[in-house]
Amino acid sequence: MREIINLTKLFLNDSLGFSLFFYNKTHNKKEFSKQLFTMIIVPVALIPAFFMYISFMTALYTGLRLINQASVFLTIGYIFTSALIIIFGIMYILSEFYFSKNMEELIPLPIAPRKIIISKFASILVLEYVFTALIFIPVLMIYGIGQGMGLGYVFLAFVVFLTLPLLPLALETALIMTIMRSFSIKGRKDVVQIFFIIIGISLIIGVQFWFGTQMGSSGEVDLQTLMNSLLDNNVKLLNMIGYFVPTSLLVAWGLNEINMMSVFWVFCLALITAFSFGLMVFIGEWFFITSLITGKTSRKGKKLTRAERQRSLGQKSHGAMAIFTMDMRLLLRTPIFLFNNVSVVIIVPLCILIILSFSHLTPQDFDAVKSFYDQMPMVVNFMLMGFFVFFGATSATTATTFSREGRASWLTRIVPVSPRDQIIGRTASALVVQSLGILFTLIGVYYYLQLTVMTILLTVILGVLGTVPILLFGLLIDMNRPLLDWDNPQKAVKNNMNVIITLFVGMSYVGLLIAISGVLGYLVNQWLGYGFFTIISLVLTIIFYKTINKNMEERLLAF
Amino acid sequence: MLKLEQVSKTYGNKNEKAVDNISLEVHPGEIFGFVGPNGAGKTTTIKMMVSLLKPDTGRIFINGIDNQKNILEAKKQFSYVPDNPELFEKIKGIEYLKFLADVYEVPLTERQKQIEKYLDLFEIKDAINDPIGSFSHGMKQKLALVGALIHNPEVFILDEPMVGLDPKASFELKKIMREHCDQGRSVFFSTHVLDVAEKLCDRIAIIKKGKIIEVGTMDEIRTKAGSHESLENIFLELTE
Repeated sequence: MREIINLTKLFLNDSLGFSLFFYNKTHNKKEFSKQLFTMIIVPVALIPAFFMYISFMTALYTGLRLINQASVFLTIGYIFTSALIIIFGIMYILSEFYFSKNMEELIPLPIAPRKIIISKFASILVLEYVFTALIFIPVLMIYGIGQGMGLGYVFLAFVVFLTLPLLPLALETALIMTIMRSFSIKGRKDVVQIFFIIIGISLIIGVQFWFGTQMGSSGEVDLQTLMNSLLDNNVKLLNMIGYFVPTSLLVAWGLNEINMMSVFWVFCLALITAFSFGLMVFIGEWFFITSLITGKTSRKGKKLTRAERQRSLGQKSHGAMAIFTMDMRLLLRTPIFLFNNVSVVIIVPLCILIILSFSHLTPQDFDAVKSFYDQMPMVVNFMLMGFFVFFGATSATTATTFSREGRASWLTRIVPVSPRDQIIGRTASALVVQSLGILFTLIGVYYYLQLTVMTILLTVILGVLGTVPILLFGLLIDMNRPLLDWDNPQKAVKNNMNVIITLFVGMSYVGLLIAISGVLGYLVNQWLGYGFFTIISLVLTIIFYKTINKNMEERLLAF
Repeated sequence: MLKLEQVSKTYGNKNEKAVDNISLEVHPGEIFGFVGPNGAGKTTTIKMMVSLLKPDTGRIFINGIDNQKNILEAKKQFSYVPDNPELFEKIKGIEYLKFLADVYEVPLTERQKQIEKYLDLFEIKDAINDPIGSFSHGMKQKLALVGALIHNPEVFILDEPMVGLDPKASFELKKIMREHCDQGRSVFFSTHVLDVAEKLCDRIAIIKKGKIIEVGTMDEIRTKAGSHESLENIFLELTE
């Protein structure tokens, strides 16, 4: 047991960087201050969202209680939390078991493989418990207080809380390990990781879809009607979810009313959880460890003949193109980078499309939208421009461009590539990502609204123009504070404050620019609005370009 | 060809200098060995030469170009192989070599000729279409060496180049280093293998606690040390 605790502490320390934090406290005060600032500012920034969640859940409980369906509240809370655990769990599991390279050091040690698996799992579980505490404990408390539950409820609710992240996470880990094992033999590990990422995205879209259908079918926006609609129209849906997440029924039976049977149902839940955990450990020993010691998880390329080698080398590229190609390859071939940088341009247009699809728009609604567009094309144009610039702000492509290279960044720092070419190459890959988002959005919107050529040209050109300053700002930030010392690509993006800074600044910039240009266009003249947007974007682009161009060589010496 | 003038570097909050006011010069056609105990400042010195670190004081000239003032031009003069080449794992070997050929603007026929020659010498031709992540440590080292030799640099800088190489590759590398210098170019490398330094280098510098404590040919070092012993014995005496 002591070994498991020590290993869990080690894995947590590795992923959260405690040792480095305390080392920096005495040896690198500047870095320590940055870390401390991040540790304070991130939770503080989440406080409003947390209170919004509490308010929403309280309103949901109140609404359900009014229609005598309070018992559904626990089921919804349980399923919602389980779904979030599963969605975020995919990345945690892949990161801890497959992206992390510490297994090569641990396997030769005299530690039972089972203990390594349990410890790795426990290190994920600790983080998931924190998450579950924030999401599910409010649900339990709202229900318990609302229904005037006693000590028996508190005890059983605590047991349910303990099983909640463990059960879905154990089953998910076992499933991922089984699939990864069968594919790693064939050398398709990256493809499988991308597959899981797509599953994650699909789940997110699924949640969007579900909420979209609720909003669309409710017609009214007030909570009471929404609740009625949810229960009247979706009894089948809830039952179906109940079948997919059968343990939610145990939770409902166990906690809705406290009696002797409640203890039995919660005991059953604990038993199923323990069994799932055992299954995960068993599969881990058989599949995860075996796939590691079997080796050969990356697919080999075919042997090239002399002619093929010469053909591969035979096309000379410009420095900017060389940087662009390298950046794109790293982005597309590293699943975690692909997910974090590219997914948003696919997810966001898809989610909006899905919501629109299930909004039950009538032909009259379509006519109204079309007539609005005919009369006020400028409003639609600015909305689209804002949307396109939003892709630039939310994609972390330039904000992690150096960070993604990690310890291999020495190479791009010693090669004689001018700052101009570095800027062009690295910004171009971000623009390629953004153009995907623009394309998906235009296709989606075109389905509902026949956009004119003028709108398409104007929004695409100005959308890209408005994005460049954000991309350059991201590049500037990452050039000044790259995160290079990572052994797991997840850290290059998830632990990187450059992403948050660029997102915050980028979103503020989009909001302000669209608001001011839009108001100018609406009140004075639409061309004045477009002109203002263009001039501000160009001026900022020139300022950021010159700043980066002037300082890059110097900064590359100080990574 | 490579000149360091009173170069110093300090890390973090420490008062101790990692590199303390060192000056040295590597002449054309010379293989220059850089030896010293662990933590003596070898890698820090090399990183300052190859523009991965900025010296606190002093200047470094590569082929007569100040690597702080004309960074881009200085970068064209050298190539560098680190002690533990961390390369892009998701990139294929051939793509890595093409990237380097592109950024060093190596003409098409020249890049094809150079790459074929060195892939043959280091026997990694069959693996060149595989992702670098599937390479062993030694293969990565060989790939980094091929990449560094594509543009036939004026100054070839290597940090512990023999570590991880098999005996044949190690032999070939020593031959390449000598041939490189016979063309009037220079090689600067750090090593812990004193036997290699003694046999291969035209001149050697010994660094200890950031300071150069001895520099010269083997004969000059022996004369100064007043002994006819091997470099290993002299090194042990000087660094104790």
